[in-house]
Amino acid sequence: MSFLGSNLHWSVLLAGPLLAGLAVSAAQTTAPAPANTIRSQAYPPELVQSGSALFRQDCSFCHGRDAGGGESGPDLTRSKVVTTDVAGDRIGAVVRSGRPDKGMPRFAYSDQQIASLMAFLHTQQSDALTKKGGRKGVDVSDLQTGNVEAGKQYFDGAGGCATCHSPTGDLAEIASRYQGLELEKQMLYPKHAKAKVTVTLVSGQTITGTLAYLDEFTVGLIDPTAVYRSWRTGDVQYKVDAPVNAHVELFAKYTDADIHNLMAYLQTLRQSPRSGSVP
Amino acid sequence: MNFLKAACFAAVSALIAVTPVRVVLAQGVDEQMLLHPPLDSWPGYHGDYSGRRHSPLNQITPQNVKNLSLAWAFQTEQLAQIKSSPLLVKGILYFTVPDNIWAVDARSGHQIWHYTYPPNKGLHIGHRGVGMYKGYLFFLSPDAHLVSLNAKDGTVRWEVTVADATKGYWTTMSPLIVGNHVLVGVSGDFDNLSGFIRSIDPETGATQWQWNSTAPPGTPNQSTGGMTWMTGTYDPELNLVYWGTGNPTPVLNGSTRMGDALYTCSIVALNPDSGKLVWAFQPSPHDTHDWDAVETPVLVDGDFHGRRKKMLMQTSRNGYFFVLDRANGKNLLTASYGPVNWALGVDEQGRPIPNPAKEPAPDGRLVAPDEGGLTNYRSPSFDTRNGLFIVDAHPSYSIYFAKPADGTYGWAGADYGVWGKGVIEAIDYQTGKIRWSHELGPESGAGVLTTDSGLTFTGDGHGNFLALDSSDGKTLWHAGSGSRIQSSPITYELDGRQYLLTSSGGVLFAWALPQS
Repeated sequence: MSFLGSNLHWSVLLAGPLLAGLAVSAAQTTAPAPANTIRSQAYPPELVQSGSALFRQDCSFCHGRDAGGGESGPDLTRSKVVTTDVAGDRIGAVVRSGRPDKGMPRFAYSDQQIASLMAFLHTQQSDALTKKGGRKGVDVSDLQTGNVEAGKQYFDGAGGCATCHSPTGDLAEIASRYQGLELEKQMLYPKHAKAKVTVTLVSGQTITGTLAYLDEFTVGLIDPTAVYRSWRTGDVQYKVDAPVNAHVELFAKYTDADIHNLMAYLQTLRQSPRSGSVP
Repeated sequence: MNFLKAACFAAVSALIAVTPVRVVLAQGVDEQMLLHPPLDSWPGYHGDYSGRRHSPLNQITPQNVKNLSLAWAFQTEQLAQIKSSPLLVKGILYFTVPDNIWAVDARSGHQIWHYTYPPNKGLHIGHRGVGMYKGYLFFLSPDAHLVSLNAKDGTVRWEVTVADATKGYWTTMSPLIVGNHVLVGVSGDFDNLSGFIRSIDPETGATQWQWNSTAPPGTPNQSTGGMTWMTGTYDPELNLVYWGTGNPTPVLNGSTRMGDALYTCSIVALNPDSGKLVWAFQPSPHDTHDWDAVETPVLVDGDFHGRRKKMLMQTSRNGYFFVLDRANGKNLLTASYGPVNWALGVDEQGRPIPNPAKEPAPDGRLVAPDEGGLTNYRSPSFDTRNGLFIVDAHPSYSIYFAKPADGTYGWAGADYGVWGKGVIEAIDYQTGKIRWSHELGPESGAGVLTTDSGLTFTGDGHGNFLALDSSDGKTLWHAGSGSRIQSSPITYELDGRQYLLTSSGGVLFAWALPQS
């Protein structure tokens, strides 16, 4: 499917609703509108409404009816895909392709349906971001119950973190790259960490690369020349080197206090305030 | 398999059966068929009433399964993933995705008819199939209506409303037919609603009785919830229907519903004629992690530590395997079957004791298993030959949050999966010990079917259909399907040939040994 084609439609399709919405906003400037409704007024209510109905049908089970997170799906009101979406470009891509690796199916939505979904999600997000409370979600301030010193001790000692990680090496300024829940999830299990695999052929030749695929029948890697190669597992010997498994072994050992203390410590690993990039 | 022999056997069977069966089967499914499904049928969601998904068929064996090949495939041409178990009655398969039913020839895989339910605003998360009584199908819609259709052509007989979808109910389950009762359950835990099981007259659509799992919404200090979204099982001798109920609401915040929250996260035994509760057992008292106890209550008759028992077994979503005496609901065994860190121990009734320190909290709690649970809706199987309860397990960890600002309605908190993997586990039902396990990759796989020839059919997290040796879990056959597998396999014999039926994505696959 061509997303370029879809994007072209976007600009045409969305100019109308956006302009119409702006006109509505302008006409209502005399009314004391709360700040959090500015963005939602950018979309015609009927568009948001049809997006809401569509969301309820197909998305709400995993993402929650208000898009604030449900069974297994993330809170979309805090989603980067939604935040950085322009006129449905990113939302449309995710919806139409799905995320097979995360269990999200794809949906064959029309451009009009994507437009309504986008209007609904942007409205939910701007509403959520300006709400004072009464909503679910995890704030950075929720994750400040730990003790820095105890976290550092756990990092250097019982947790074994220092075996692989260094606060001045790979984790330098980690808290400037990730904050809050995102940092905690990375800390507990960095999902995108790559494993290495070494495959030994019958001839004795060995090939080491980044593990790209592994089930009980096929092993695939990206070799040093960036080429994908695969073998039947029965035809070769292979050895996977996945340091990330150390994170899995920790799950059964952590106390919740250990996790909160580690979070406190990791949150000290940030750029100095002078550099100005601390949020 | 010797084809001539099979053909002769089929012919003789047909002769023996011809007089009584023809009269009754002219209308489709009758009580005898549901009680003793013939080998050429799969007349209910679980096949028979026991929920064991263990077939006596033995044409496909550990020795010849490597030759298994595609007999046909049926493409729904839809993006919706097949999560249903097809029914097979008189050579015709009936299966579903939300809003859709297909009738497909089980010999060739060609479509006989296709029914589409009108566009509606119900939740379209999945669909587990139809129920059948006489020549009628019963189909639950995303907006919680029950539709009865004529099986011969897919025309609608009647439609009744089961629950109010505008309040937050939806339906996905395959109705259980017992006598002249169509038993249906509901979904809906995004709102503080009461779950129920309803018995409906198959001829008229009239309600016969309704059993509510919780008090009406708004009852002070009482839990709502207890949805009933999976098909139960039935013991005709005891005349009891066994059904699992879902989590309480609010889901993650238990502060407004102190106590056990009966009958949520429970296994209940009901009289199918009256709807009266006979006993209940609660796998998750005061649940705060969304761990529905709706997983199939599997009925097994046999030895338990030297005494013959009528047992009920469940691998519950909360990570515990339970064996109960199904005559009275008394616990015989409770054992975890994977990482579990939320309980302080097991009480004298055999129920895990929830650790208050693992309830969702403002700064998060690391909890095993995750919200999807150590297993979920995909069916387990009880292998009567090896005495093994074989389940698609999902060892996993997640973090659970809840704070006062999350309120006390619906979800009332947030949780995030951190890590998980899929494993087929074969549990010794007398001890709860894992006899063998088979790794499936980073995701859960498929449901499980076992056969008397010693095979376990399932699928892995990459989309491979698998045949394992039931005695040790070793892989004997596989086929890549090209999509995730969300269903449980079934098997049947037609014209003397055993078929294995699997699905992945929106495609149904029929497998059989090559014909000589």
